[in-house]
Amino acid sequence: MIAAGIDVGSRTLKVVLWDSTRRRVVASAVADQGIDQDALARRMLDRLLDEHDLARDAVRAIVATGYGRKLITAADRAVTEITCQRWGVRHHVPEARTIVDIGGQDSKLIRLDGAGAVLDFVMNDRCAAGTGRFLEVVATRLGTRIDALGRLAAVSTAAARISSMCVVFAETEIVGLLASGMAPADIVAGVQTSIATRVAAMGGRTIEPPVVFTGGVALVPGMAEALAAVLETPVTVAPDSQTTAALGAALLAVEK
Amino acid sequence: MIFRQRLCQSYWHCRKIVGATLDGFEFPARHGCTMTDPAEKITLDQWDDRYRDLCRGGLREADYGGPLGRHVEAHGDRRLLRLRMDNSAAALRLWNLLLSEEDRLHRARAEGKFLLGTMKDLGTVPVMAYALEGVLAFYPDGAWWTPCLMEHSEGLLALADRLGIDDSFCPVRAMLAALVDENHFPVPDTLVCSVGATCDDVAAIAQRIDELGFPVFWWEIPHRRAADSGEPSVELPGGVRAPVAQVEFVRGELDRVRRHLEERTGQSLDDARLAAGIRRANQVRRLLARLRHFAYQGDPSPMPALEMMIAEVLSIHYCSDWAETLSVLEDLLAEVRRRLVAGMGHGPAGAARVFWVNPPADLRAMNLLEECGGRICGTDYMIAHAIDLIPEDVPPLVALARAALADPMVCSTADRAERIVREAGTSAAEAVVVSRIPGASHCASESLLVGRIVARRLGLPVVDIEIPPVLDAMEPTIRARLEALVETVLARRNA
Repeated sequence: MIAAGIDVGSRTLKVVLWDSTRRRVVASAVADQGIDQDALARRMLDRLLDEHDLARDAVRAIVATGYGRKLITAADRAVTEITCQRWGVRHHVPEARTIVDIGGQDSKLIRLDGAGAVLDFVMNDRCAAGTGRFLEVVATRLGTRIDALGRLAAVSTAAARISSMCVVFAETEIVGLLASGMAPADIVAGVQTSIATRVAAMGGRTIEPPVVFTGGVALVPGMAEALAAVLETPVTVAPDSQTTAALGAALLAVEK
Repeated sequence: MIFRQRLCQSYWHCRKIVGATLDGFEFPARHGCTMTDPAEKITLDQWDDRYRDLCRGGLREADYGGPLGRHVEAHGDRRLLRLRMDNSAAALRLWNLLLSEEDRLHRARAEGKFLLGTMKDLGTVPVMAYALEGVLAFYPDGAWWTPCLMEHSEGLLALADRLGIDDSFCPVRAMLAALVDENHFPVPDTLVCSVGATCDDVAAIAQRIDELGFPVFWWEIPHRRAADSGEPSVELPGGVRAPVAQVEFVRGELDRVRRHLEERTGQSLDDARLAAGIRRANQVRRLLARLRHFAYQGDPSPMPALEMMIAEVLSIHYCSDWAETLSVLEDLLAEVRRRLVAGMGHGPAGAARVFWVNPPADLRAMNLLEECGGRICGTDYMIAHAIDLIPEDVPPLVALARAALADPMVCSTADRAERIVREAGTSAAEAVVVSRIPGASHCASESLLVGRIVARRLGLPVVDIEIPPVLDAMEPTIRARLEALVETVLARRNA
C-alpha cells in the first residue's frame, strides 16, 4: 500500500510517498511555497507518481500536516506537525526523547516518553528569533545565501554575542557589529548560537537525550553543533530532516 | 416509549458521571426551550432565527432581553460576529445580561443610584456595596472586553496609548480610555482600588486614572506569606493559611473601605448588613459551584466553554444586578440539567478534558478549544476570590479579609500552581492550557512556572499560549497548539 504525507510548511511544501508493504520511502520532494498550496501539493504529488510509474489511485491514504494542512483537499485528514514529527522521528530514531524542529517561521520542542508518546511540547510565539527566518535575515544582510552560512560560521574564531530577543532588533545589532569591523563569520556563529539559545530556553526543563533535530534549519551546517553546545548534549540531525513531518504524516495515513 | 427508555438510561448515565443527583429537575420546557431542542453552537446571524423560534415557543425575557444582533447594531460589538454561541434561551439571557451592563449603569445613574467603580478588590468591595441600598458596584477594568468585542474599532486602546498607558500594559488599560471618553459606563461616584500584591498593571493604570482627575480610594493588600515559627495563623478559604497578623491588617484596610462607603453613601454599613451581603455573595457562589460541577463533569459537555466562562465572571460583580445574576445562573443550571438528562451536549462524548488557566483576552479562544476537539473540565480564571465561599462564622470584615488573602493573586506562583494542581487533578483533567494575556504583568513569567509545576506534578501535557485581544491573525498557530494538545491526549488514552 502506498500512502502519502504532505507537509504544508510556512516556507516549503514537502511530499513523501511511503510504501507500507516494503516499509520504505518511495519518493519525496520539497518545493518552495506558493500562493495556491493545494494546487502545488497536487502537482508535486502527481509529479512524484509519474516519476515512479504509479497511478493516482495507487495512493490509498493521504494525511496533511503543517500550518496549511487544512488547505489540502486531497487529504483524507489533517494532523498537526507535533504528532507527525513524533511519528517521523520515531521511524528513524526509535529511542528519541526530545525533538527540536526549527522551520522557516516557527520552532518546536517536543518531549517524548520512553515509549515514544508525546509528553508535551512548546512552540515559539510570534517572535521569529528562534527560527530559520533569522538566518534568512542574516544571509540577506551579509549578501550571501543561507546555505553558505554554515561554511562561514565554520571559520569563526570568536562567536559574536547577539543579545537582542527580536529579529528586528538583532538585525540592527548586526549592522552595528559589521560597522565595528566584526568578521561576518563571527556574526553568523553568534546568530546560530542565538537561535539555539532561544530554542533551548523554550524547553526550560532538563532536555532528555537522545535529541533529534529536524526541519529545514537542521540542514544548515553548524546549527546542530550550536544546538548541542547550548543543550550540552549530543544532537542527531534526522535523516531527511526537512521531510520528517511529511514522513510521519504518511506513516499515520497507513495507521488509520 | 423508546424516548422515555433512552431518557432513563441517560439519567443514570449522568448520575454516574457527575456523581450527584439530578432529582428535582424540572422537566417541562422553560423559557421556550423544549426537551427536544438539541444543543448547538450558532452564529449571531443564526441567533436571529433562533430568537424568533424561541419567541414563538413562548420565550419569557427579562427587561434587558431581546435579539442579540441588536448589540452589534447599537454598540458596534462586531466581535460578536466571530463567536459561536450556545443556542439555549438560558444562554441568550446570559449574553443579554452581560452586554446590557452599560445600559443598566446609565439607567442607575439616571435613577440617582450610587455607582461604585472597583478594581482588584479580591471579591470584597462588591459584597460591601450590594449590602447597601441603591448602590451598584462594577468593574471599570471589565471594559477590556469592550475592545475585545469591538475589534478595536472604537479606538479605546489608541486613546489609552495617548494617555500614556501603551500596549506594554495589560488590555485592561481600556478602562482608562473608557473613563475619559465616557462613551461606555458613567463616571462612578467613587473608585476603589487595591495596591500591593495584586496587579502591577492595574495599579499603574489606576494611578494614571487618579492623576487624570478621577480620585481613587486606595487600600493595601499584602503578599500572603507563611507564618513564622510560633506565629499564630488561621485557615483561609481554599484550605491555605495566613498569619493572623496579616488577616488583621487586611481587616483594618477593609474597615477603611467600609468607612469610605458609609461616608460617601450616607448609609451605615454595620456588621448585620455586611453579613447579609456575604450571604448574598455565597448564594451566587453556591449556585455557580453546582453549575460548574454539572457543566464541567457532564459528558458530553452540556454547556460550551464560552458561556461557562461568562457565567463564572458574573460571580465577580453580578454584571451590576445581583438578583438577575442569580436568575441567569439558575436558568443555565436548569438547561445543563435538562441536557444531561436528555444525554445531549456539545461535541462528542469523551472529548479531551482540558483544564484552562487564566482568562483569554479574546473570547473566541474558548470556541477554538472546542472546535479542536477539546472541552473544559475545570478552570482557574484568576477569580478564585469570586468562586470560593466567604466564611459566615466569623465577623464579616474578618471573613472578607480571609477571603481576600486566600486569593492566588496575592500568593506565590508556587502556591497558585498548587491550587491548580489540586483542581486539575480532581476534575480529571487530561491536559492543561495556560493562556497568557499580552502585557499583563502577572502572566509574563507566572504562566511558564505554573505550566512547569503542573506538568511535573500531574504528568499532564501543558501548553502555554499567548492570546491577544483579537486573535484572528494568530488563529492558525493557536489552533495548531490546541489540536496538537488534543491529539496528544487521545494518543495517551490509546497508549
